[in-house]
Amino acid sequence: MSWFAQLFSRRRRYDDLSVSIGEHIAERAEELMESGTPRAQAEQTARREFGNVGLIEQRSRELWQRPTTESLLADVRFALRQLIKSPGFTATAVITLALGIAVNATMFSLVSAFLLPHLPGRDSKSLVVVSSVNPDARFQADTNPVSPPNYAAWENDTRVFSAMTAADEYRNGSLSGSGQQPESILYAAVSANYFSVFGVNPQLGRAFLAGEDQQGHDHVVILSHGLWERRFGSDPTIVGHTVHFNREEYVVAGVMPADFRLLGFPPQLWTPLTLTAADHTPSGRKNRSLYLFARLAPGITFNQARAQLNTLAQQAQQDFPDTEKRWGASIRTLPDFLIHNFNIGTALAVIMTVVGFVLVIACANVAGLLLTRAVGRQKELAIRMSLGASRFRVVRQLVTEGLLIALFGGGIGLLLTYFGIQFMRAGLSFNDGISAVPVTLDTNVLLFAAVISLVSAILSSVAPALKASHAAINTELKNETRSASSGREHNRLRVVLVGGEIALAMFLLIGSCLLICGVYVLDHQKLGFNHDHLLTAGIGLDQARYVDASRQNQFVRNLIAQLQPIPGVKGVTIASDLPASGLGNVAIHIEGQQESRSNEQNTAADVIVTSDYFQVVGVPILSGRAFNDRDDATAPRVVVVNQQFVHKYFQDRDPVGKQIQLDIPKVPPAWSQIVGVVADVKSYSEDPRYEPEVYEFYDQRPVASFSLMLRSTVDPTSLTPALRHTVAQLDSELPLLRVMSMDGVIDLQRNGNPLFSKLLATFAIFALVLSAIGIYGLIAYSVGQRTHEIGIRLALGAKVSDISRMILRDGFKVAAIGSAIGFVMALPLPKVFDSIFEGLLPFGSPAVYPIVLAVMLIVVFCATFGPAQRATRVDPTTALRNE
Amino acid sequence: MAKDPDRRDLFSGALDLMILHSLRVKPMHGYALAKHIKQASDDLLQIEEGSLYPALQRLLKEGLLESEAGISAKGRPTRIYRLTASGARHLEREVASFEKMHTGITRVLAVARA
Repeated sequence: MSWFAQLFSRRRRYDDLSVSIGEHIAERAEELMESGTPRAQAEQTARREFGNVGLIEQRSRELWQRPTTESLLADVRFALRQLIKSPGFTATAVITLALGIAVNATMFSLVSAFLLPHLPGRDSKSLVVVSSVNPDARFQADTNPVSPPNYAAWENDTRVFSAMTAADEYRNGSLSGSGQQPESILYAAVSANYFSVFGVNPQLGRAFLAGEDQQGHDHVVILSHGLWERRFGSDPTIVGHTVHFNREEYVVAGVMPADFRLLGFPPQLWTPLTLTAADHTPSGRKNRSLYLFARLAPGITFNQARAQLNTLAQQAQQDFPDTEKRWGASIRTLPDFLIHNFNIGTALAVIMTVVGFVLVIACANVAGLLLTRAVGRQKELAIRMSLGASRFRVVRQLVTEGLLIALFGGGIGLLLTYFGIQFMRAGLSFNDGISAVPVTLDTNVLLFAAVISLVSAILSSVAPALKASHAAINTELKNETRSASSGREHNRLRVVLVGGEIALAMFLLIGSCLLICGVYVLDHQKLGFNHDHLLTAGIGLDQARYVDASRQNQFVRNLIAQLQPIPGVKGVTIASDLPASGLGNVAIHIEGQQESRSNEQNTAADVIVTSDYFQVVGVPILSGRAFNDRDDATAPRVVVVNQQFVHKYFQDRDPVGKQIQLDIPKVPPAWSQIVGVVADVKSYSEDPRYEPEVYEFYDQRPVASFSLMLRSTVDPTSLTPALRHTVAQLDSELPLLRVMSMDGVIDLQRNGNPLFSKLLATFAIFALVLSAIGIYGLIAYSVGQRTHEIGIRLALGAKVSDISRMILRDGFKVAAIGSAIGFVMALPLPKVFDSIFEGLLPFGSPAVYPIVLAVMLIVVFCATFGPAQRATRVDPTTALRNE
Repeated sequence: MAKDPDRRDLFSGALDLMILHSLRVKPMHGYALAKHIKQASDDLLQIEEGSLYPALQRLLKEGLLESEAGISAKGRPTRIYRLTASGARHLEREVASFEKMHTGITRVLAVARA
């Protein structure tokens, strides 16, 4: 019989036993009565002969018991009773832990979703991603996409890679037809073997066939599950139908399953990637747009692959110094690449550290509570030990209580986590890459919650239990708690705990405030242009209808002319990229300046604008002139530069009239004259620095994809219908991308910064409140313990104000030491943050330190004030009589 | 933690042996069993109740006995203990080993007396 079944059949066994024994005694008594003994005496004799019924029953029952399980169960039952007996204590401890566990588990759900990313397909962990290393990039230089010629060269090195595939990930296309509004969607152009390298088959239809990446055969698409559901109503017969995409007919070849997704790459459909002869020319080397996914050849280690790749990159540097100089190659495993590229790790690490500290503070609080309780139960424990309970047994009993508290805390914490995750999901929609990742209460999170519950149980209960069990039996039993100073001895551990809490809280507060200030400054920095009352929209002119530059130019002229008269529109302009929303960098050469004194390439952010851009966007012209109609396609090339450009490349001397040359892929190099200097505009709203910028003139260098900007006198978004209508009149199949106000664009670029700040602030305040509760508990408890002492002091003539000062001083002593430690711990934080945020956050706020210190002291004062007041109300006569 | 100080006057396993053997003859309830052993041994062996009931429970637990609700000779409800198949096998083994031991001890004693 299994012990488990025995556990349940036991009650019957016990009953059987009682019946047997009862009958035994009764029968013996009857026998005696038959031989003439009176009933009363017979029964007594029968009992005496039988012996100790209770003992025998007990001994018989023990055979059915499993001592360890039984005593554990007894411990649990006893602990439960103890906890129920003091609901106030239990509730405080459980809720404290529940909150600590909930914030940790909620934040861990993000870690689970983003840092333990879901990988599609077969054996995807062994996939590698090959990138270029951009010598001029400031951030994530080694995740740069790769040019087609390098792709061809590296793919051919079959000694290293058994299979390689390329994806041009961030393409915008327009999907129209079936009576719906043309819709701009993100798509990826991928090599024909893309899906087979991942080892994933479409859910419907087929993957791309070899040869479909050749021009003329490439009009096939594979839909993502999301697009298929949303746009095509999960039509099971979709395969073989045509869709109207980028103004042409594409045949749907397949639909991918829902779980085929890569962190940070959310394309809605895939087309074949067609690489032409032009892509493989030396100038195609500047067109670095391909993400390469590969499998290593059998027997090749990761390090061998890296070494070989470096050799190949050096070869390319030697063969094509113009384009490949200083460019390197890097290789990462797929999960490593995705996490690194997605770049959410730093923020998550900071947040996890913060919530980890919050949990430690919560544990310290619970430990403090348990300690107080253990002191109150000293006598009970002493009695148990004097009756023979081992120290281990007593510690186990106390730890069981801690475990139970953690268990309840974990349970409630998990419930709170569920809501926390709902909340996080609502907050995590600031970009497509983020919102494509499902954040759920998965097994990782459950496991994590269980582990931290266990850890917090151990953290919070072991020290108090060990301390309590150390009590000397004799003194405890004799001691009638009449000693006035016994409190101090017991309190030492609590003082350490609370001091530690305050140190941690101080550290957290300073760290969070530094980060929040940094984020605030970043999000509120001057961008250098007038960003309110500006409506923006992206437009991508397709090759099919806008074959050449003159057609594109014509469209832009018409568009501006038609938009201008709309009521509420003050000005219209276009730019290749929106200001402060991330500009591409180009290499530049300056006439008369020695090339590369150092090994460094001169670069500048490059943007192409129409003539009234500066006026519409609100960028002042500092010297020279803006573009005008005489600078047409046939006139000499002209550019405008910003102040930072002048500062960096002309040492602040007037550059007007000087010639520079821009190094642009697929554009024949030509010298351009600088005609004007404009004020600095941030090239990215979340970059604290200004970059050198070059403005080109749209008429001289038209581009197919650009952003439209309308300066309005009314709420900019109210112009959206008029804008859509005008564009539809010019071209009914042209989709508008992301029609939104400039302020909206900047909000999006904050990329979760406000959420990050809010979370940090919440957790830091949480830590502050917890440590305030901690110090309140400590002082209130010691006042309670010292009632007797205070009574004596008062009776001997101490003034009420002396008493309250004494209590406050006790509180402040702990707070001062804790704060000082936290303060010193926090001193190197700005440097640490600078290095982990790669200088991306401005930290010029030493004022944070004294402010946080002041706040901490005020909070400590408030927390100790109540108990101090209570101490002054001690009535000497009652205090002395009492006990 | 079943300590068995109460069996010190019998060699280990002797009580089990007698219980099993008695019950093979006839299923009995506790009191009858105690009486049976006492009578069968001509009052030479007094079984203490303090040993009998724990021993019964142990044999139940090991699956050598089973118990069922029954009526005692006096018409009161009690539990009748019965030997199981595995109890019978166990008894045979124990009897065999007991006899061997008994022979051995007797021989040693015989030598000593000589």
